[in-house]
Amino acid sequence: MSAATIEGGSAKKPRFSTKQKLLAILAIYILGLVAIVIATGANGTRNNSFEPQNEFKLENWVHLGVFSINKAVMYLVIAATLTCVSMIYIARRMQQRPNRVQTAVETIYQLMRENIVAGNMDEKMARRWFPFIGTLFLFILFSNLIGYIPLPTNTEHKIDVLGVHLPAFSLYAATANLSIPLALALVVFIAYTTEGIRAKGPIGYLKSLVPAGVTGGMAVFIFGLEILSNLMRLMSLSIRLFANILAGHLIILFMAGALAVLLGIAALGWFTLPFGILLFAFEVGLVAALQAFIFATLTAIYLGGAVADHH
Amino acid sequence: MHMALITLLAVAEETAKAGKSIGLGVGGGLGAVGAGVGIGIIFGKVIEGITRQPEMRDEITAIQWLGFALTEACFFYGLVAGLLAAFIV
Repeated sequence: MSAATIEGGSAKKPRFSTKQKLLAILAIYILGLVAIVIATGANGTRNNSFEPQNEFKLENWVHLGVFSINKAVMYLVIAATLTCVSMIYIARRMQQRPNRVQTAVETIYQLMRENIVAGNMDEKMARRWFPFIGTLFLFILFSNLIGYIPLPTNTEHKIDVLGVHLPAFSLYAATANLSIPLALALVVFIAYTTEGIRAKGPIGYLKSLVPAGVTGGMAVFIFGLEILSNLMRLMSLSIRLFANILAGHLIILFMAGALAVLLGIAALGWFTLPFGILLFAFEVGLVAALQAFIFATLTAIYLGGAVADHH
Repeated sequence: MHMALITLLAVAEETAKAGKSIGLGVGGGLGAVGAGVGIGIIFGKVIEGITRQPEMRDEITAIQWLGFALTEACFFYGLVAGLLAAFIV
């Protein structure tokens, strides 16, 4: 297990190899579990005063009727501001020799332009709709990612920091509420229906829903099915984003402690914590970006399909 | 007579609760089955495709992520249906 020395340089042999470090972590985990079970026991009383659904409850901070300011509105504003400000700032400061941030943003731009937009629409449409789809992708990406940063928004329980009553820190994503994905999906739905009607006329658009070569009774049946499937797109687009982010947050919430608090068993909290951490990494690393990518790609596909010549 | 009525009502409520729990379990469980099969097929095909043509790796990987997310969404439809059955209906 000794590292080979490099000629002309000094390669320090690390104190503990990776395998030893992993074994140490596993040992701490198991010993900690045993210690907690010995200290507090494996039975617990059901805790009925803790309500996990309050994590997703929205209480209005400023009452303006339908337009009340609450947690989700604040996250929405933060995500929108962050998207605009960060992208404009990076675009203003572009150099010939890109630094790391600029390279990353250029990669994202390339992904949006080539992969998402140009791969699914013809050139004229791509030029017109690229800003919309790009903004959609970035907005959903930022909105998802911000949801994994704890912010002081929990006004139900306040904590004391140096004598100041701050709302407790909590995780919440704007897209974890059905309203925001639904609003975005509605915009997309109206956009591609309008594009289809603009390209083919209203009767032509409805006719294009039925594949060519189908006649008579089958055509009517398939027409009904296609209308239904069109409406299903609205539902599926919004629910896919909403349920993914909500389920992620719920699992993190339960694994990282809510299960232990609900059932009153301390050892369970220690046991499920690594899964919570793993799932947090999984969500931040993969699900946030993937869901934004999927939403944008499907938007591009629907837009491209609405003006295509044949079904 | 009153006892019989009370017992009947209690049994009806318990049965309704049992029905809701079964609905939630079936929604989540069957959804997971479908999603698991679908995702397995997608990644299997990706492995096959990349084995045959290693130079197409990037393109196939892009389509792989699209397919994965679409299939994963079907699990959530099942889960949402189960949650609707358990808590709203």
